[in-house]
Amino acid sequence: MEPPRLAAHALGMRPPDAATEPMASPDHLHPCPALEVLARKRFVAGAAPGFSLEIHFAVPAGISILFGGSGAGKTTTLGMVAGIVQPDQGRICLAGRVLFDSAAAIDVDVSRRSVGYVFQDLALFPHLTVERNVRYGLRHLPEPERRRRAGEILESFRIAHLGRRMPAEISGGERQRTALARALVTRPRVLLLDEPLSALDAATKGRIVDDLRAWNRERRIPILYVTHSREEVFALGERVIVFEKGKISAQGPPQDVLGAPRTETVAQLAGFENIFDAEVAAVHEAAGTMTCRLLPGAVQLEVPLARIEARIESGVESGAAVRVGVRAGDILLAIEEPRGLSARNVLRGTLTSLEEKDFKVLARVDCGAAFTVLLTPDACRSLALAPGQAVWLILKTHSCHLLRGDAELVRDPDRPKP
Amino acid sequence: MNWQALLLTLRLSLVTASALLLIALPIAYWIAYSPRRWKFLAQAATALPLVMPPTVLGFYVLVAFGSSSPLGRLYQHWTGHTLAFTFEGLVVGSILYSMPFAVQPLVNSFLAVDPQLIQASRVLGASRLSTFFRVVLPLSISGVATAVALTFAHTFGEFGVVLMVGGDIPGLTRTISIDVFDKVEAGSYAAANSTSLVLLAVSFVILALVYAWNRRAWPRTPWA
Amino acid sequence: MKNFLARSAVVLAAVLACLAPVSVRAAGPLTIAAAADLQFAMRALIQGFERQSGAHVRLVLGSSGNLTAEIEHGAPFDLFFSADVAHPEQLEREAVAEPGSLVRYAVGRLVVYVPPGSPLDLNEQGLSALENPAVRKIAIANPGFAPYGRAAVAALRHAGLYEKLQPRLVLGEDVSQTTQFVVSGNAQAALTALALMLAPGAKPPGRYWLVPPEDYPPLEQAAVIVKGSSQKQLARAFLAYIETPEARSIFSRYGFALPSEKRP
Repeated sequence: MEPPRLAAHALGMRPPDAATEPMASPDHLHPCPALEVLARKRFVAGAAPGFSLEIHFAVPAGISILFGGSGAGKTTTLGMVAGIVQPDQGRICLAGRVLFDSAAAIDVDVSRRSVGYVFQDLALFPHLTVERNVRYGLRHLPEPERRRRAGEILESFRIAHLGRRMPAEISGGERQRTALARALVTRPRVLLLDEPLSALDAATKGRIVDDLRAWNRERRIPILYVTHSREEVFALGERVIVFEKGKISAQGPPQDVLGAPRTETVAQLAGFENIFDAEVAAVHEAAGTMTCRLLPGAVQLEVPLARIEARIESGVESGAAVRVGVRAGDILLAIEEPRGLSARNVLRGTLTSLEEKDFKVLARVDCGAAFTVLLTPDACRSLALAPGQAVWLILKTHSCHLLRGDAELVRDPDRPKP
Repeated sequence: MNWQALLLTLRLSLVTASALLLIALPIAYWIAYSPRRWKFLAQAATALPLVMPPTVLGFYVLVAFGSSSPLGRLYQHWTGHTLAFTFEGLVVGSILYSMPFAVQPLVNSFLAVDPQLIQASRVLGASRLSTFFRVVLPLSISGVATAVALTFAHTFGEFGVVLMVGGDIPGLTRTISIDVFDKVEAGSYAAANSTSLVLLAVSFVILALVYAWNRRAWPRTPWA
Repeated sequence: MKNFLARSAVVLAAVLACLAPVSVRAAGPLTIAAAADLQFAMRALIQGFERQSGAHVRLVLGSSGNLTAEIEHGAPFDLFFSADVAHPEQLEREAVAEPGSLVRYAVGRLVVYVPPGSPLDLNEQGLSALENPAVRKIAIANPGFAPYGRAAVAALRHAGLYEKLQPRLVLGEDVSQTTQFVVSGNAQAALTALALMLAPGAKPPGRYWLVPPEDYPPLEQAAVIVKGSSQKQLARAFLAYIETPEARSIFSRYGFALPSEKRP
């Protein structure tokens, strides 16, 4: 029998894109990281005939985001880890245990994989109460242990009072919590989340994610979180893996992958061409804004006021770390210093390069921090722009998006805490 | 009114409906979930009694379990008599005859169960069998009720198969429909009429109950 | 549009073609309804009659009781050949049959029929051979309405066997089904019609034994012309034909005695 390890090139797969986040080659993956997936599958029939998937990634414990447009292969990847979808070739390894290996003819049954899966539609059993849903995966345990564990998890996800209700009788957020509790109560070795929070408002989402993080602080299991929302990537992920047409086009920490995208697709997916680490310099409660200093450097931006969940009573303090994102298309460029504007952020800088492509011009401007600005070729010509020229950038306060700091940001500060 | 025939028919319908449910569940499960491409053949085979004249079906049962067939000899060896002209013979014939009425509603209701619920159950550590009993079956309860009621009603009014394999023995194989037939043949139209009315009334009540049941909205009935 | 009209016309024509034979049935051939024991004899008789008269005859087979019920409710038959006299007489009383048309055309014969390999010694023991425990089921026609069934019960009573053998009796709808129960191996003996034992090319496997005619009331069979018939002329011609020597020889070849020789 073949040794239960398979190198990517043995499958005829291209090695991971050298331009993306450096990834350990398979030879260095012994022993397994928390989760490693190497898989290839071609769909001949069904919902997506002709679609083929070819992926390789390894992730540590903690939240990893699978990010990409619909039909990119994210959900299929979760299915492969869970054992619902069988790869044509490949190897899936979870916490030192081989779940699937085509070369060694290993395919552990779905029911024995110890995965927690929260489906996109949650898939709560409509004929069972919340409590019975949560206890569903505990059949193998003695009754007192079942009751104890279910009680504990219901308590920690704040749904203990709903135990006797049917799924149809509780709110969307409560259903999400029930689904999470049902998956986590079995103490899975990996948690798979398929856009589980996409239907929720930001505040509810933030609180559920906090509970999830708290739960995982002791467990330290890998969590794969599928989303196509850019905001969620920055709000949640320690890592992001970008899916594109069945392949992985980039992976790494969100700010590296999406903040300095090396491919145009990733940049488009990211939407934020300009992402900066920053710290809060001053808070203007009355104006509803705060001033952030971009790091490193002295450039200051005025951004909308947001509260930080951990300090919700006291508001944001100076010195708090945040991240600011600005879309290249949201920035105005002027060749003279503008006057009489409502915009609070006017930055002086030097045009360093111009790059024309597909009726778009990307201008790079150094203002003490490097900005990318999107222009039309027409505008570029009529302003007679050339590298080295002095320019002014104009940013509206509300074009500056706060992304993530060391705590969760709540976008709607008016919403009361439950 | 021939009460003996009525009781016999009720008994036959009850036995057939419960036995057929046990037989149809695995068949319907297989048809609904098997990945095999040729399962449509099995589906067509179970639907055959819909188009086959019941007398033809009864004749095949007669031949298949007669003493000239291996199956019939085996049965005779076990039980000491042939299957024809016995209550069991009627049950076997009725089961074959009502097969599509049990299998089809079950297949439909199994297919109506959200596949994600089945996957969710499997991911939570349940085996296929356990998933069937804990998720698929409770969610298919209206299909099960339809299957049982249709089988019951169909057997209750069954004629051709019973005529072929029954041998018209009072109290044993003379069902209510055969009794009506005998009365018409003998020219006792009034007696045939009164018996037919009972047959009609019972069938209507059963079907009305099925449709009343199926109108009930799902989430209001916590089953487990 | 033109295409649609053309297609509609074709469909319409097809539908009309399907309806046509039903609506013109009244002017069709002679339709004879006959009891099941006549199924082979009647085919030979019809062949002879058609050759002689050039007419076209259609045959409907069934049990006498069933056919009577159908005629009472207006079935489009011209002639009815029953397996008894009671049903034609009843039709005459109810004025559904043409008055005075009743003809006694033959007398049926009852036999005991056993499959090949049966241990019964019928010639030696007669009906009492049926007491043999190897005979678990005995098929007879339903005595409630089938003439041969009544004859079978009478013969068993005459032999003093009816009470004893009754638990083993199974009832066929008519003599055909009664015979079929033995052929398919589900019953070990049948009391049925001689006519079904003699059919050329369709003889069932096994042996038969003629029940002595004096053991049961004669199975006289009668025919009537249906009052609603539109082919009464042709029907009378057929009744005349069955009196001919040719037709009589067909009857005896197929196991029927003739009314004039009731007790051979």
